[in-house]
Amino acid sequence: MKHNIFNVLIINRWFVFGIILAVLLVIVFTAGAWFSRYDPYNASFSPLSPPSARHWLGVNDGGMDIFSELMYAVRNTVLFGVLSAAAALALGIFAGLTAAWKGGLTGNILMRLSEVIMSVPPVMIMIIVASFMRPSAVTLAFTLSLVSWPTTAKAIRSQALALRERMHVRAARDMGGTSSYIIVRHLLPELFPLYLIGFIAKLRMAVFMEASLAFLGLFDPARKSIGSMIRYALQYYYLDVWLNWLIPPVVCFSLIIMSITFLAISLEEVFDPRLKEI
Amino acid sequence: MVEIENYSAVYQDGNHSLLALDRVTFSLNEGYITVLIGESGSGKTTMANAIMGLLPKNTVTEGSIRLNGDELTHLDDDSYRKLRWRTMAMVFQNSAAVLNPVQRIVNQVAEPLIYHLGIKKEEALQITEKKLAHMSISSDEMFRYPHELSGGQIQRTLFAMALILNPRVLILDEPTSAMDAALKAFMISLLKELKSKGTAILLITHDLDLAVKTADEAIMLYLGQIMEVLPARDLMQTLFHPCTVAMCRSFPTMDAVRDLGGMRGDAFYRYTHVHRLSDGKTEPHVHIAAGADREGGHAPILGCLFRPRCTQAVEECGRTSIQLTQAGTHKVRCVRGGIVDLLQLKQIKKAYGRITAVDNASVSLRAGEILTIVGETGSGKTTLAMIAAGAIEQDSGMRTFKDRTIDEWIKNERFSFASEVGIIYQNPAESVSHRFTVYDIVAEPLHIQNKSSGAAASKKRSGTQNEEERKKVLNALTDVHLPVEPDFLMRHPHELNMGAIQRLCIARALVHDPVLIVADEPTSALDPSVQAKVIKLLLNLQIEKGLTIIFVTHDIGVARKISDRICVMLAGRIVEIGPASKIINEPRHPYTELLIDSARGELIHFESPKSEQSVSPDGCPFANRCSRRVGKCLEMNPPCSNVQGQSHLFWCFNPVVLFSYDKKMRTDGEK
Repeated sequence: MKHNIFNVLIINRWFVFGIILAVLLVIVFTAGAWFSRYDPYNASFSPLSPPSARHWLGVNDGGMDIFSELMYAVRNTVLFGVLSAAAALALGIFAGLTAAWKGGLTGNILMRLSEVIMSVPPVMIMIIVASFMRPSAVTLAFTLSLVSWPTTAKAIRSQALALRERMHVRAARDMGGTSSYIIVRHLLPELFPLYLIGFIAKLRMAVFMEASLAFLGLFDPARKSIGSMIRYALQYYYLDVWLNWLIPPVVCFSLIIMSITFLAISLEEVFDPRLKEI
Repeated sequence: MVEIENYSAVYQDGNHSLLALDRVTFSLNEGYITVLIGESGSGKTTMANAIMGLLPKNTVTEGSIRLNGDELTHLDDDSYRKLRWRTMAMVFQNSAAVLNPVQRIVNQVAEPLIYHLGIKKEEALQITEKKLAHMSISSDEMFRYPHELSGGQIQRTLFAMALILNPRVLILDEPTSAMDAALKAFMISLLKELKSKGTAILLITHDLDLAVKTADEAIMLYLGQIMEVLPARDLMQTLFHPCTVAMCRSFPTMDAVRDLGGMRGDAFYRYTHVHRLSDGKTEPHVHIAAGADREGGHAPILGCLFRPRCTQAVEECGRTSIQLTQAGTHKVRCVRGGIVDLLQLKQIKKAYGRITAVDNASVSLRAGEILTIVGETGSGKTTLAMIAAGAIEQDSGMRTFKDRTIDEWIKNERFSFASEVGIIYQNPAESVSHRFTVYDIVAEPLHIQNKSSGAAASKKRSGTQNEEERKKVLNALTDVHLPVEPDFLMRHPHELNMGAIQRLCIARALVHDPVLIVADEPTSALDPSVQAKVIKLLLNLQIEKGLTIIFVTHDIGVARKISDRICVMLAGRIVEIGPASKIINEPRHPYTELLIDSARGELIHFESPKSEQSVSPDGCPFANRCSRRVGKCLEMNPPCSNVQGQSHLFWCFNPVVLFSYDKKMRTDGEK
């Protein structure tokens, strides 16, 4: 069936836009990082210089090369998102499968816990954690995953519960298959669409979250991030530097979010009817 | 009258000698019909010829044959000639060849009268004419030559010839093979008449129907050895030896509802010769001509002869020499005492919450038997079958498989039990993962039991597959007639049709070489032509591998075609269980009758529920719908009753007495 999924995806407009955008962004930013000749922390240039052949996007108020800064910021933001999404996904799969397979008290506790977490806005928790504990970006990414796993866990659990009663899973159990065998060979492959959708959704959320927190100034001010770039650039919006300082990170950010959103929409369109069918 | 004791006969055939009879002991008594059954080549006719003293001169014999206490084996030809026709007569099998082609038949039949009794020709001819007329040969036909008569007429002529001197002992070798059904009925009445006159009759036939209807005792011969001695009425019903079972399953009677089975493998002859061993001793060897499974074609002297074709053979069968032993009214030559009980369920109860799925069900299953559980949806048939398969645990009750408790077995050795039982599920497409390839699907039970399955899977990707595993998978696929090309092995289930997927599931169930197959509505998702193929396949597998099958279906038409026994379930209770032919032709429980009549499309006595009286939980589950209900049906569950002398059980206070066939006759008569 795997080749069929790709056949369906490739004719989906959202997917085509999303994937082209994502590929372009990856190419631009890997190549861009290669071309940026300056250390983003090097503050030895004349502040607020306009774009030139040496500084493609000019220099900011602290005397740093904006292009190099942007390259680093995008990388930091996206990596934060990927890390947090991956961790949330792993947690979600683990919690969801445990709840489905063990059931009983364990399952109940896990599900109630996930409901409690889902009822609290993640932004609030992140602001509190970031402002009071001032952790590193990596720790913060994991913190975010701690509050974003429940949706995945719930989806995984309900699908796993349905799958458990499927004939081929019952057959494997009747043949003497152990839980680990059944989970690895039967459940995990069947749940594949869920991971994909879950991962993309979490990625979008984490990227947004990172940008927002940085914009609010809740991150280490020295860390390069799209959010903090926008924040600093906004202070000078009355000068004409906003053209080369404010617009590039905003556009980059929008493109990243757009590409992820398109992918998410396409995946849901393709997988959802199949999930219902199951 | 005639006693045969430890009689062996060896035909000399060039360098070989063919062992036709091996220490056969039985007797023929007055007014008693003994029937010899067995495949061709099992020594039936040799036995008859031996009694008549007609064996070839170079035959080596041993043991004794006594007529009223006088030894016959040492008699010379003249004394024997005096006995033949007068005391002992035989109707030969190869009819036409026995008669003299240039003599009118009436003259030939009269010959013994003239030769033995010295009666004048005219008188003899008169007696003969009477006798022939008794055999319903018209006066016109009597004066014909043998070639002018039909096979059936010749057979009757031979009968007249054999009976002309009223012999005390009559041997009939395949008397009905050339006869049509009407003549066969005549033959049966004739045999009964002779029996009442006190003639001792040895009937040799492969017509089991004739045997059941006429004989008193049946003797099963296999390769010259008596395998089972049994009361003839037990034929087709209660059998112990696997050989007799296979034989009876192959025979088409009017009652038989199941498709014909057969005996697996081929018959072979036994050759004996003497080998000189290295230490100078000699040891006689028995050779099996077609037994390619043995080194040099030598079979050990010891052991059961039927073993290569037996479906329940164990190692012990080849080790000891086996004697006929008494088992009830039967005598059986089998180490395992005949067909063994494979599975026993005793008072199984299972409830899902408040709903009782199975209530006090007890079933036992003999090896190599097909038991079908029929009943409406929700009657608990699947639950019962799955409890038998070890897939569901019962709330209370005992279940044993191969004399071991299933619950303990599963607890201690899950894998070993899983290899004994294969399960086939209702919906083939659902019961396989659509992500697996054909190979992975069939190999799954092996992968599950192989701890290094991950390693095996990665090996497969690198192209070096586990040879043993691959062999097993290919064998299983061959068994279900699926292709084994690498291209097919890499296909996914959605590329196959339903029938192929179901056969794939059967292959998966077979890959561990299980003893028991539990098939839960395996054909209900299939269209009739595919269903027919799958059922044929299962039946063939049953014959070839001796599988024991529990078949769950709601379709009594399917059940009729495949089962040895049928078990009817209603609301978690077994209401009737018995041999398939009995259940179908003579149902005793009103519910069974309803099922069968509805399957025939004629609801003879379907009435809307008599009243809305509530049935107590202890009452008969059918009480509300039953037209034969009596008062106590509502309050208590009927006890188990059985049809006399049969393994046909039912649970009903007021069972159906008239069988549908008679009933139809009667209603037709009234019209």
